Amino acid sequence: MNEKNQDIVIQVKNITKKFGKFYAVNDVSLDIKRGEIVGFLGPNGAGKTTTMKMIANLLIPNEGEIWIRANGEIQKLSRKNKDFLLDNIGFLIEIPAFYGKVTPKEILKYFAKLKGYPRHKLDERIDTILKMVGMSEWKDKKIGTFSKGMRQKIGILSAIVHDPDIVVLDEPQTGLDPGARKEVRDFIMNLKKMGKTVFLSSHLLYEISEVADRIAIIHLGKIIAFDTLDNLEGRAMKSVIHFELLNPPEDNLDDFIKKLKQLVVPLTGITEEESWIKYDYDSKVTQVFFNGNPKSQTQILKKLLDNGYEILEYSVPKAGLLESLFIELTKTNDLGGVKK
Amino acid sequence: MTMEIKQLDMIEKQEIGLKRNISQIGNTITFELKRFLKNFLLILSIFLAVFIVSLIVQELQYMQDVPLPEDPLDYINSYISGGAGMFGMFGFLIILSTAGFAGSIIAEDFHKQTGNLIFPKIGKTRLLIGRIISRYGLNAICICFYFIMVGSVTLIKYGEIPIVLWGSMLWALLYTFMLFTFVTLMSSIMKSTAISIIISILFLLIVFNMISMILRFAGLEGEPFYILTYYEGIIANSMAMPDLRYTEIRMPTGMGGGGGGGGEFVTFIFWTTPSEFVALIGMLIFISVFLCLTYFLYKRRQSKSE
Repeated sequence: MNEKNQDIVIQVKNITKKFGKFYAVNDVSLDIKRGEIVGFLGPNGAGKTTTMKMIANLLIPNEGEIWIRANGEIQKLSRKNKDFLLDNIGFLIEIPAFYGKVTPKEILKYFAKLKGYPRHKLDERIDTILKMVGMSEWKDKKIGTFSKGMRQKIGILSAIVHDPDIVVLDEPQTGLDPGARKEVRDFIMNLKKMGKTVFLSSHLLYEISEVADRIAIIHLGKIIAFDTLDNLEGRAMKSVIHFELLNPPEDNLDDFIKKLKQLVVPLTGITEEESWIKYDYDSKVTQVFFNGNPKSQTQILKKLLDNGYEILEYSVPKAGLLESLFIELTKTNDLGGVKK
Repeated sequence: MTMEIKQLDMIEKQEIGLKRNISQIGNTITFELKRFLKNFLLILSIFLAVFIVSLIVQELQYMQDVPLPEDPLDYINSYISGGAGMFGMFGFLIILSTAGFAGSIIAEDFHKQTGNLIFPKIGKTRLLIGRIISRYGLNAICICFYFIMVGSVTLIKYGEIPIVLWGSMLWALLYTFMLFTFVTLMSSIMKSTAISIIISILFLLIVFNMISMILRFAGLEGEPFYILTYYEGIIANSMAMPDLRYTEIRMPTGMGGGGGGGGEFVTFIFWTTPSEFVALIGMLIFISVFLCLTYFLYKRRQSKSE
């Protein structure tokens, strides 16, 4: 491994996993660098969990290799060295289910001990991490009485209780309400600030786009894109502007859209056939599909202001970029098929 | 979430290797013992209740002028192999407690998906060893508790505890372990804890006995080594091994005399106990086979989503 790759902590090389004739993961390659958050994005059944399970050595790839850095040296994951290599990784695979009759303190203590965490520091460690998620007062309550969000938090804590350098989280926000999702998102950002490397999977575009430094998109078992969000945006060159007006259109929506099209479409960089403008009654947000170019974005804003529109909010959400890219990429790769 | 960001100090963790593996088994034993404490107390109280009921039944008989057996072994037998209206209750208790302790040993992690949380923090082998030790340990305490109670009441009645009682207890522990490995095997095959418990109890209480009966009536006279529950006989009979380990039952065939005195008879042989040597070898073979099969199936088993 050359100097440039010294930062790589997990390297997945051309792994394939078949279940019968079905290719769950097909020739997937990834590299995860120290201290970054890598988002692993894909629809349900795309192969995210299977890939993560192969990293956790819970499934053995039919083809390909997984390399993991431990004690400064990157080594190929095998049956012989799996305990050594996986010792510094915390895993949360799928939705965590708990033994209902135990308390967070008991289960976290057990997991920390399994991973060789020093006994004399266990109580302090458990208190610290429970405080991080605001669950200190719940440490001696039975997990069976917890809400889904609370269980999810304990699940994430179970992955980091032994203080690993790398954390692999599989869909940690699935099934949570928006408030709990934000809490988990903040927690992931703080893991990065603590110097951890995070490999995070989700089918929720927004959750990934808000935290990830780089994003790998998997579809039908194949990686169809792996880059920074900015670079992916450049590739897609299409995105959506969201804006909210001080005086939203009420009855004259058709006229509003028609007038907007005349003003804006020539500036979107998109052909008239492809272009669209939508208005959402609930959120009062107007959406304009454009080529993703920041110059077009500014020109559209200027045009709206020049024509007397009073704008409360004007933005291009990252999730919007990702969404259009995702749709674009999956559309073009659909013909790739499941078979290798 | 209340955030408290701080870079944690470098922690000196226990190194990977044999020591870690052993400590993982130890940690699993401790965790499981705590987790099963309530179940253990419940099952222990069932053992106590059965013992008390047996004792009351015996005492009621003596109050009705039924004399106390001269031999303390006969008295002990009434608690272990039946009698006093408690026919086969101890054997039933062993089956019940074993199913309760071992039924969830593997199936639980796949049914409830708790395996998603526990793997890969610990390997399947170490987890299985830790769980077998802890849960069998609790099961064994229940068995020993029952024998101690029987020993104590024998001491009160006869002023002594026959030493063979403890030999019988060791047989009971070995028999329980054999059933435990069988239930563990069921747990590695079945989808859920409830199914593995029900199927195990069905097999141990009904299916094996039915197979045995069918084979007897089909004229098979050999010793039924292949029937798990046959080995239960050694628990009581080890205290005083009978000269004949089987009983012969003559039944009319229904031909030649219409049930009168001159008809033909057929003899069925019913084995009551294996010899000590046969019991030891037979149970060890079963234990080895069940453990190997369980290990193989458990290693291959994947969770629903895999």
